[in-house]
Amino acid sequence: MSNLIYILFRRLRSPLIVLILVYAIAITGFVIIPGVDDQGQPWEMSFFHAFYFVSFMGTTIGFGEIPYAFTDAQRFWTLITLYASVIAWLYGIGVLLSVFQDPAFRQQMRRNSFIRRVKNIREPFYIICGYGDTGMQLAHSLSDSNIFSVVIDPSEDRINELEADDFRTMPLSLCDDASQSEVLEIAGIKHPWCQGIISIADKDTVNLTVAIVAQLLNPDLRLIARAETPEAEANILSFGANEVINPFETFASRLALSLKSPSLYCLYDWLTGAAGQCMREPPVPKHGLWIICGFGRFGRALYDHLDDEGASLRVIESDRKIRDIPSGSIIGRPTEADTLIKAGIKDSVGIIAGTDVDANNLSILMTAEEVNPDTFRVARQNEDNNSHLFQAAQFDMLMQRGNVISNTIFALIRTPMLGDFLRIVSRFKNDRANELVSRIIGVVRDDVPELWELRVCEDETPALFKTIKKQQVLVEDILHGELRLEHLEQKRTLSAMPLFLKRGSGNVLLPENNRIIRAGDRFLMCGTYEARNEMLRVVKNINVLESLLCGRQIPAGWLFRKILKVNCTREVREEGVNNE
Amino acid sequence: MNSEKVIFAFFIVLALTLNFGFFLGGMDDVNHHNIYELFAAIVVSLISTVLKVGDRTHLGAVFLATSLVADLQLIAAAIVWGYTANVMGDSLGGHSLATVISLSGGALLANLISVVLLVSETITVRR
Repeated sequence: MSNLIYILFRRLRSPLIVLILVYAIAITGFVIIPGVDDQGQPWEMSFFHAFYFVSFMGTTIGFGEIPYAFTDAQRFWTLITLYASVIAWLYGIGVLLSVFQDPAFRQQMRRNSFIRRVKNIREPFYIICGYGDTGMQLAHSLSDSNIFSVVIDPSEDRINELEADDFRTMPLSLCDDASQSEVLEIAGIKHPWCQGIISIADKDTVNLTVAIVAQLLNPDLRLIARAETPEAEANILSFGANEVINPFETFASRLALSLKSPSLYCLYDWLTGAAGQCMREPPVPKHGLWIICGFGRFGRALYDHLDDEGASLRVIESDRKIRDIPSGSIIGRPTEADTLIKAGIKDSVGIIAGTDVDANNLSILMTAEEVNPDTFRVARQNEDNNSHLFQAAQFDMLMQRGNVISNTIFALIRTPMLGDFLRIVSRFKNDRANELVSRIIGVVRDDVPELWELRVCEDETPALFKTIKKQQVLVEDILHGELRLEHLEQKRTLSAMPLFLKRGSGNVLLPENNRIIRAGDRFLMCGTYEARNEMLRVVKNINVLESLLCGRQIPAGWLFRKILKVNCTREVREEGVNNE
Repeated sequence: MNSEKVIFAFFIVLALTLNFGFFLGGMDDVNHHNIYELFAAIVVSLISTVLKVGDRTHLGAVFLATSLVADLQLIAAAIVWGYTANVMGDSLGGHSLATVISLSGGALLANLISVVLLVSETITVRR
């Protein structure tokens, strides 16, 4: 604020001095020049009258010659000072307007209002550094699920784009470089409501700097960053980042996963996919010869991951000078049918168009389809505004960098336990993964599945927290399986299941039905939207919960409880299963 | 030599001298106090205020504060004078004159502080 006033007065200094001088000279003139009153007697204007007259003359209001008609000498002076004062006013107003038009001043005003509004945030929020395709999608996903966000981007065009965009809850935005610690500070990195910082700038160096600054300023903050090279990924992780997402690595490992275990791929795709999407039939790529077009960062990541899965690979690269290219690679243009045939497209089971030019990728896959219509086609889409083309082409698998990152980050924000869960699941053998997926499908059936977290604590689940102090509550009682809900006439199956339990530092995958719920437990739940609402009602409302545990309706009031002598404690059972 | 410094010092000292000139004289004799001098003191004081505004240093803030005090006192004095002479229709004297002069005396003190600050700032500058 003080900055603004400082700039304003600096610029207004000379117009103000001019105005004061013009007024002073005009007033002095009117006091000195002799006049006559209505009787024709000599009369001298007092300072009071002179100031009065000059005030309405200078502002061009013009009440007339007050208090007595002027002499010619006074009129002469009025002529001179009239123009002088009008010019002084115009000069002053002109400078004032130009200050408000000034880009530096406007930037300062925006910054001040940004700082003020960040200070006034009274709800959990995330800081997003970088508003490219990824940032835009992420900001929209967050705002759609009513999570507040603060966006920082150095490009003014992008910030203007954000301000023109439609959001359910408008994020706060600042046009500045997020790698400066001061900028992160005013964006609220130390704010008590700040939940985490998401660094998804285009450049790895920016993301790295954000990670360092965040670690120094607020080490407890959750940090999710994007990295495009394995070196940057390791580097950012070493600065205490919770999750680092490398779009190329993520996609390549997914593709390898779909070769290894289609059901695991399906699970991954669904858990980290866009919200509200149904579980889809997984694509079925085959083992055999795979052709990778383009050996950049994406091509390398694919090569490494598919090689681990034992697929035989052939690389086509148009750049002759590229180093450490695998032996047996073909140098040539992958967009030409000859090159593709030479690489063995006719015998291949899959082709990946992974160059950094969208037109080339489209052309490669079109040509490949002409030569071998059965091959599995994977496309890399670089530009967000080409998505119509890629969707129309209907490839078997599509890699959109922005989508991969924003969906993964969004899933991690909504359900922070997901990261650990996925890490454990990724080590599953195929059989176990199939079983897990079929269990999930059995619970949610054809509905759109939801993920949510349940924390046993006083703030979030007050009813459950109170009850477990008095009596044992098992997982099957409230979280899974057949429950007596509503009017308790019949049991209903709750379309939800616990996927994962965190108790202290221990992790339990798929908690058993007879496990006892304890205070401080965190459950990762999955199920339908209705089941989620029902469950949240149960864990928050003590009456509903008690009725549920008793198996019959319990009166809510103290009096009727005493009259009916309700006793709802069950015999205590020993916890049969130890923590894994 | 810095011309900005010259102008700045000029207006601050002039505000003090004009104020002092007006203040000087008997408390009960209007002939000792020139209305033109009061007017000039107000104008110069306003200009020196504008010159001080926008200085972000601590000293600049104190300069601005003393100057605003002087403006306030002088304008109050002028209002008392104008009200007595034009609205009440009396000739200035007695209580009103004493009020005008004591108000300008207060402004004189504020201007004096300004000058002391100016001198002390000048002394700390190494040559």
